[in-house]
Amino acid sequence: MVGPALPSSPAKAPESISETGSTLLFPLISAWAQKYQSLYTQPPADKLPLVTITTGPTGSGVGIADATTGTVDIGASDAYLSSAEKATVPTLENIALAISAQEISYNLPGIKNLKLDGTLLAEMYTGKITSWNDPAIKALNPGVSLPNMKIVTLHRADGSGDTFLFTSYMDAQDPSAWPVTNVSTAATFPAVPGALGEQGNGGMVAGCAATKGCIAYIGVSYETQTEKAGLGQAEVKNGAGKFVLPTAATIAAGAAGFIAKTPANETISMINGPAAAGYPIINYEYAIVNTKQTNGTVAEDIRAFLHWDVATGQTASFLDAVNFQPLPASVVQLSDALIAKIGA
Amino acid sequence: MTSSASMLKPAGGAGASPLPPRVSDWLRASLRDGSVIRWTGAAGALIPVAALVFILIILGVKAWPAIGYNGWGFFTGRVWSIGNLYGNPTSSGGVEHLPGAQFGALPSIIGTLGSSAIALVVAVPVSLGTALVIVERLPRGLSSIVGAFLELLAGLPSVVIGLWGGVTFGPFIARDVTPFIARNMPNVPVLNYFRGEVGNGQGMLTSGLVLALMVTPIIAATTRDLIRQVPILPREGAIALGMSEFETARKVTLPWVGGGVIGAVVLGLGRALGETMAVAMTCGAALGSVPTNIYGTMTTIAATVVQTVDGAFQDGTGFALRSLAELCLVLMVITLATNILARLLVRRVSGTALPVGRGL
Repeated sequence: MVGPALPSSPAKAPESISETGSTLLFPLISAWAQKYQSLYTQPPADKLPLVTITTGPTGSGVGIADATTGTVDIGASDAYLSSAEKATVPTLENIALAISAQEISYNLPGIKNLKLDGTLLAEMYTGKITSWNDPAIKALNPGVSLPNMKIVTLHRADGSGDTFLFTSYMDAQDPSAWPVTNVSTAATFPAVPGALGEQGNGGMVAGCAATKGCIAYIGVSYETQTEKAGLGQAEVKNGAGKFVLPTAATIAAGAAGFIAKTPANETISMINGPAAAGYPIINYEYAIVNTKQTNGTVAEDIRAFLHWDVATGQTASFLDAVNFQPLPASVVQLSDALIAKIGA
Repeated sequence: MTSSASMLKPAGGAGASPLPPRVSDWLRASLRDGSVIRWTGAAGALIPVAALVFILIILGVKAWPAIGYNGWGFFTGRVWSIGNLYGNPTSSGGVEHLPGAQFGALPSIIGTLGSSAIALVVAVPVSLGTALVIVERLPRGLSSIVGAFLELLAGLPSVVIGLWGGVTFGPFIARDVTPFIARNMPNVPVLNYFRGEVGNGQGMLTSGLVLALMVTPIIAATTRDLIRQVPILPREGAIALGMSEFETARKVTLPWVGGGVIGAVVLGLGRALGETMAVAMTCGAALGSVPTNIYGTMTTIAATVVQTVDGAFQDGTGFALRSLAELCLVLMVITLATNILARLLVRRVSGTALPVGRGL
């Protein structure tokens, strides 16, 4: 690789770095951190890690905000930075770490692979469609016996990258049903009677499991939990008009068309792609890092850890557990170029 | 420490100049004439006043641009939206904000007042009963044990109550209690708010009941201390006149401490209005939602602030934070207004300002 020189191991002095943010990325970055801490221990080879990495699932909103204010070293986010955020702290970068996706889950016992599109979802979340046996849902799902049950929409109450992805998808599918001005990590959900706000992806899974007739958007890293909770997974309409489930193949197919288009700052929406076999709600998981750090050792450790994530951490042993897809080589190079900018 | 430091210092001098008065001497002198006590006492007395004024001023300054931009619509609007986070900030009237920013506090205000009202409706009778039983019915040993539990309950962290309310209590009443009520309540005004969808246990009723649990010990413990101060003679007189125990409590004991009880209720109301964590965990966190029945999901001012503050930090213009400051200001005004109102009421009823005894 002709890329920039990046440290292959952390600095010699013991140091700690902190991460908070995206609950979608949390299971993966925790697994990375755990492995990384066991790889590099203080001499003599005792159990103490050379770099202590603390991780916290607080939602992408907190991740971005904390990275902006410098409260944490790494903010995790499913959403890229807005231009206003970039303007506040110009040295912030969003560095892609993996490719993720979001599933649409629902609690309708016995009904599998319900077909849904952005218009329907927007109409549910704006209260235009309130019952599961609505003709519009039936039209997409001929032959499925839908119950006369109230639709309970679940949304994230905390600032959430998942909310950003979900609102992006609804808007991309049907801008008249969900306006672009309401695409955000802190999007406003119209007051629909009974609608519930939840904290984090974990809260979404628990809330949906407890509420018959619910619909929720949940990161694929929680797929195991949603299956265990007996939630259905929707086939979601993509930009080519096909209905697809989020699988390794469809996520990879959906991302393929965006890889070459990814700009140097890695700010790109991969929502509602045109690939026929591609899943439409996919994204890069980002580390939000201030490239101007105050402490040289910390900067070196962040560089080393993030480089390890995109270089060594992209194996199936890490990604399969959370249903993420690895970054292609070209995007790894872009990420490395951004990582190399982190300094004191 | 002080003396050794001052002994080292002049050693480098010529030795002719007299030693400066030692700090310890000065301290001893001021302790003796009481000026230390006077000054620390004065400072201590001023700090609470200064803190309240300071908080009000800071909130006011922070919220000022938001007050101008949001206008009266703040109290009638139902949408709480920080605007398009990915759009370019715009400016109206010199106030920079995100495009489409819109802040309406009506649902939060309704939720705050509604859940607190439910809490008081439930907590006041329970608290008065508890206080009367502790003072007048239970044997001394048992009464002190019950009283101790009451105080323990008052000290329970709100997050513990919130977790219980959200995970256990809410789903329980939504499954086993409220469907029955919702089905059988007659469809007449007021009572029809008890009909309809009961949801999954997060909402106004659950929040109100959880708040009731939190304010009951405050009202009960204060009322208990008040009732203990009612002289025995009037009560004995009432019983001698043939009044039942209930009549004695209603006609003699409670009126005797009436003003204090109102004060105790306001203490509880203050807690209910501002309670954040327990409500945030049980209200359903439905920003912008005005519940259509008593079970509906909703939000309160405090819950809105805690749920949206992280999103507000993402607003590069800072306007979302200013609007949250305005919301906090509204909560403070509501709380202060109820307190002042209660003080006036208490003074009119009994002449003493606030409940005596050990307010919690």
